[in-house]
Amino acid sequence: MRHKLKLVLVLVLCAWTTAAAQTDTVLIDPVSAAPVLPPPLPVTNLQAQDTDNDHGHAITLTWEKSADDGAGRNSVLAYEIFRWFPFQMDVVDALRKSVSETRDAVRAFRIDLPRAEHALRELREDPGKLRTLRFNVARPDDSTFQLTADYAIRALEDTIAFIREHGPILKNRIKPLQQDLEKALAELPQAYADYPRDGEWRSLGKALVGSTSYTNTGAKESTDKDFIPDYTDLYYRVEAITVDESIRSEAVTVGPVQSRGQWFHAGRVPVLGFVLMFFVFTLTFVQMAKKGANLYVRPLSGIEAVDDAIGRATEMGRPILYLLGLGDATQVSTIASFSVLGRVAKRVAEYQTSIIVPCYDPVVMAVAQEVVKSSYLDAGRSDDYKQESVFFVTNYQFAYVAAVNGIMLRERPATNIYMGKFMAESLLLAETGTLAGSIQIAGTDEIAQIPFFIVACDYTLIGEELYAASAYLGREPVLLGSLKAQDWAKVVIMAVALIGMLGTALGWPAFAQLLQVTG
Amino acid sequence: MSRLAVVVFVLICAAFALSWAVRAGVTGGDHALREAFLVTLSAFMTLAIMSFMYRDNPYYKFAEHLFVGISAAYWMCVGFWSTIVGNLVPRISENLSEFFKVPYSGGGLDFDLFFLPYRYFYMIPIVLGILLLMRLVPKAGWLSRWPLAFIVGTFAGLNLIRYLQSDFVNQISATFVPLFVEWHGFGDFIGQLSLAADGQFVAMMTNLIIFLGVLCGLIYFFFSKEHTGWFGGASRLGIWILMITFGASFGYTVMGRISLLVGRLTFLFRDWLGIMS
Amino acid sequence: MMKQQIPRLIVLVFGSFLLFQFFVPHESSEWIYEFLLDWNIIIGVFALAVGIWSLFNVHVEKIKIRKFGWKYSYVTVIGFVGMVTFGLTAQNGQEWGWFFPFLAAVVLTVLMIVQAGASKGNALLFLGAAAFFALAAAVIAWLDTTWSFYFQTAVPLQSFMFRRMFDNVLVSLHATMFSLLAFFIASAAYRAFRARNVMASLLLIAALVVMSRFNPYLEPIFGEQVSRLSNWLMNVPNLAAQRAVIMGVGLGMVATALKVVLGIERNYMGKG
Repeated sequence: MRHKLKLVLVLVLCAWTTAAAQTDTVLIDPVSAAPVLPPPLPVTNLQAQDTDNDHGHAITLTWEKSADDGAGRNSVLAYEIFRWFPFQMDVVDALRKSVSETRDAVRAFRIDLPRAEHALRELREDPGKLRTLRFNVARPDDSTFQLTADYAIRALEDTIAFIREHGPILKNRIKPLQQDLEKALAELPQAYADYPRDGEWRSLGKALVGSTSYTNTGAKESTDKDFIPDYTDLYYRVEAITVDESIRSEAVTVGPVQSRGQWFHAGRVPVLGFVLMFFVFTLTFVQMAKKGANLYVRPLSGIEAVDDAIGRATEMGRPILYLLGLGDATQVSTIASFSVLGRVAKRVAEYQTSIIVPCYDPVVMAVAQEVVKSSYLDAGRSDDYKQESVFFVTNYQFAYVAAVNGIMLRERPATNIYMGKFMAESLLLAETGTLAGSIQIAGTDEIAQIPFFIVACDYTLIGEELYAASAYLGREPVLLGSLKAQDWAKVVIMAVALIGMLGTALGWPAFAQLLQVTG
Repeated sequence: MSRLAVVVFVLICAAFALSWAVRAGVTGGDHALREAFLVTLSAFMTLAIMSFMYRDNPYYKFAEHLFVGISAAYWMCVGFWSTIVGNLVPRISENLSEFFKVPYSGGGLDFDLFFLPYRYFYMIPIVLGILLLMRLVPKAGWLSRWPLAFIVGTFAGLNLIRYLQSDFVNQISATFVPLFVEWHGFGDFIGQLSLAADGQFVAMMTNLIIFLGVLCGLIYFFFSKEHTGWFGGASRLGIWILMITFGASFGYTVMGRISLLVGRLTFLFRDWLGIMS
Repeated sequence: MMKQQIPRLIVLVFGSFLLFQFFVPHESSEWIYEFLLDWNIIIGVFALAVGIWSLFNVHVEKIKIRKFGWKYSYVTVIGFVGMVTFGLTAQNGQEWGWFFPFLAAVVLTVLMIVQAGASKGNALLFLGAAAFFALAAAVIAWLDTTWSFYFQTAVPLQSFMFRRMFDNVLVSLHATMFSLLAFFIASAAYRAFRARNVMASLLLIAALVVMSRFNPYLEPIFGEQVSRLSNWLMNVPNLAAQRAVIMGVGLGMVATALKVVLGIERNYMGKG
C-alpha cells in the first residue's frame, strides 16, 4: 500500500511538473522568433524634375506609392530620399568651415587684444584690481585653483603674445583659403558629372507614408552647406522603409536632372491679370478725364471740412498742424499724405496762414519740405515759405508724441490734420488736440486706429478715403480719372466675389482655383 | 519764475532727494547710492510725464525735451552701429571693415559685374546719399530729388504688387464662402433646423452675413455714385457693420491700455516707494 | 530736365522694374531686387545727418528768436550730445577717471556752437569758447586711459552709461507716455458713448459687449451669452468689415502706387 502510494505520488509529481512546464511562459528572443518581414515593394514611376516657379536650386521628385503602402503587406513606414554627393562636396564644406572659423578667430583676437592689454596695465599698476578684472583669464581645470595677481599677469602676457603671434598668421590665411574655396566650387560641376565615381549616396530626409512627392530645396549661396548647384547633373534615389529601418525596399534611382531658375512665375498669373486690369482702367479713365469727361464723385464730409478748417485758422490767427504719421517715405499711406499735404499747404499759402509739419522720419521731412515749398510756389507766395515750418523731431514713437503734444498745447493750432500711418499714439494725439481746442480731421488706413480717430476727431477718413482725398482736394481730372478706375476695380471685385461664391455653392471650384496664387 | 514756482521746485527737489536717500538706505549693498539714484530718476521722469494730465508745466516740458534729445541720439547711435558699421562698411571696403572690426562680407566670394567687382556698385547708393545731403545746401537742394525719387519709386513698385496680392487677390479668394453648407436637400435642412452654434443654419447665416458685409462695405467706399435708393441702403448697412467692427476693436483695446498704466503704477509703488510687495 | 525729368525717369524705371520683378523668380532678378533694397538702407543712413541737422536747426532758431520755451532747447541739445557721447565711448575698467569732465567739455563745446548760431553779434566769441572746450576735451581724451572712444564694434552700446540712460530714462519715459493712453481712452469713451445717432449707438453697444466679455461680475447674471455674443461679433461682422476695409485700402494703395510709378502723382518731387 505504501509502495503504491509512493508510486502515485511520483506519478502525480511528474504529471504536475510536466503540466507546469507546459504552462510556464517561455522567454522568446523576439528577434530570432519574430517572423522576418520581407522588404516592401519599391516605389514605381519615380521622376525628378526642376521645381517650377522658383529661383532654381530645387528639384521635385514624384513617384507612385509602393504596393505595400496602405495595401498589400502594409509595411511601409516612410520613404527615405537620397542624393548622390561627390566627395568634392566634403572638400568644399571643410574649406567653407575653415574660412568662417578663421574669420571668427581673427575678429575675436582684434576685440580681445586691447582689452587684455588694458587689463594687464591695470594689474601691473595695482595688483589689488584683480577682484574687478574685466578680462577672462585662462585658468587650469581645477576646482581648488585660486587666481592670484601674479598668475593673472603671466596669463595675460601669454595671451597677448599668442594673439600678436598668431593673429597676423590667421589673417593672412583667409585669402588663400577663400581662393581654395572658389577653386573647389568651380570643380563641383565636373565632380557631379563623374557619377557614380568618387561619391556616395547621402540621406536628405524622409517623406511620410502615403506621400508621392518630395522637394529637395537647396540654398542659392555657394558658400552654404545646403547649396545645390544649378545646371549640374544630379541623381536621386528613393527607398521605402519599414519599422525596422534595415528592412527596406530596393532603391529606385533617377537622374540626371538639372535645376534652374525660371524667368516667369506661372503661379502668379492672377496677380498679373489684375495688374494689367488696373493699368487699363487707370489709363482709360485718365484719358477720358483729359478729354473733358464729367467725372462725378460723391461728397466726403471730411474733405469738405478742410477748407472751413483752414478758414477758421486764418480767422483765429492760429496755425495749422499737419502730421504725416509714423510711416517712412516707402509707405504708400505716407505718399498719399504728401498729396494731401501739397493741397492743404497751397490753401494755407493762399489764405496766408501758417502751417507746422513735425516729421517722424528725415526722408519724409525732406519730401515734405519739397511739397510745401512747391505749394507755396504754386500759390505765388514763395517768400512766405519758411523751411523751419517742416522739421524733424525724432525717430522714436512716444518721444515724437511727447513733442507734438507739447506743440499742440503751446502753439494752440486751430486745426489738426492727421493723415498717414498711425499706431498706438493716435488716441494720445487726438485727445491732446481736443484739449487744445483744435478742429481735427484724421485719415488713416490702420484699421486698429480708426476707432480712436472716429471717437476723438471731428472728421475721419476711413481706409480708402485717405487715398481718395488728394483727388477730392485737387479736383484735377487726371486724379478723378484714377479714382474712377478704383471704383471700377471694386465693381470687378464684387462681380468676381459673387461668381466665386455661386460657383462654390453650385460645386464648381474651378473659378475659385483660377484665383489661387502659388508661391 | 514766480516765488510759488520756486518754492514748489525746492520742495520737489527736497522730496526726491529724500526719496533717494531712503531708497539707498533700504537697498543697501554695493552701489546702493547709484542704484537708488537711477530708480529715483526713473520715478521723476514718470511723474513729470504724468503731470501732463493736469496741464502743461515746466517739469513736463523738461522731460519732453530730454526725451526728444536722448531718443534722437539713441536712434543715431543705433543707426551708426547697425546700419553704417553693420551694413555699409562690410560691403564696401576691407580696410574699413578691419578698422571697425566687422566681418568683411564683400570679400566672401567676390565676382565681377560688367567687369568691375560687384562691391563697387555700392558706390552708387553712397553717391545718392551724398546727393541727399545736398538738402543742407540751399542752391543745390534740388539734387536731393534724385535719391528721394529712387526711394519713393522703388517702394511704390514694390508695394503696388505686394498689396495687390495680399489685400486684393487673396482677400477676394477668401470671400468665396459656400452659401449652402452640408446641403442634402430642403427637407433635411428643415428637419435639422436649430440655433446651435455648430449647426447648419448658423453656419449658412454666418457665411451669408460675411458675404453681404463685405459687399455692403465695398459699396460704402464707392465714390462715383451718389448713395441714394437701394445703393444708399446698402451703403448704410455697410457703415453700420463698420461701426460694429470699430466698436469691437475699441472695446478689445481698452484692457490692454489699462494694463500699461498698471505697469507704471507698479513701478512707482513697488520699485520706487517700496510700499507694495 | 535735371530737376524734373530725371527724377521722373528714376521713379518710372525702378518702380516698373520692381513691379515686374515679382513675376520673375530667376536668381538674377532676385539678386538685383536685394541689391536695390540694400541701396535704400544705405541712402537712409545719410538721412540721419539730414535729420540731426534739422533738429539742431529748429532749436537754434528757437533760441535765436527767443520763442516761447526756448530755454528747454538747451535740455534737448544736452540730452542729445550726452547720449551720443555715451554711444561712442566705454570704460576700459571700473574707474571713471576724467570721463565726466570730458563729457562736460563736449557738451559745453556744442552749446557754444549752438549759441554762436543763435547769437546776433557775438558769434566769434562763442566759437572761440567752443574751440577752447573742444581742446580741453581732446586733451582729456588723449591723456585719460580709464575710458576710450570705441569706433570698433558696438561695445559702447553695452556700456554702463548708455544702458542706464536707455533703461532708466528712455524706457521710463516711453512706458509712461504709453500708459497715458489709459486716461485718454476713458475720456474718449466718455465723449463718444453719448449715442447721438445710430452709428455712435452701434459703436457703443459693440464696445460694451466686447468689454463685458472680460468682466467676472456679469457672468453670473448673463451666463455665457455675453462671451458668445462677443465671439460672434469678433468672428462674423468684424471679419466682414475688416475684409471690406482691407480690400478698399489695398485698392487705394495700388492706385496711388501706380500713379506714382506712371508719374501722374508727382507732388512729392516738388517744383522749381
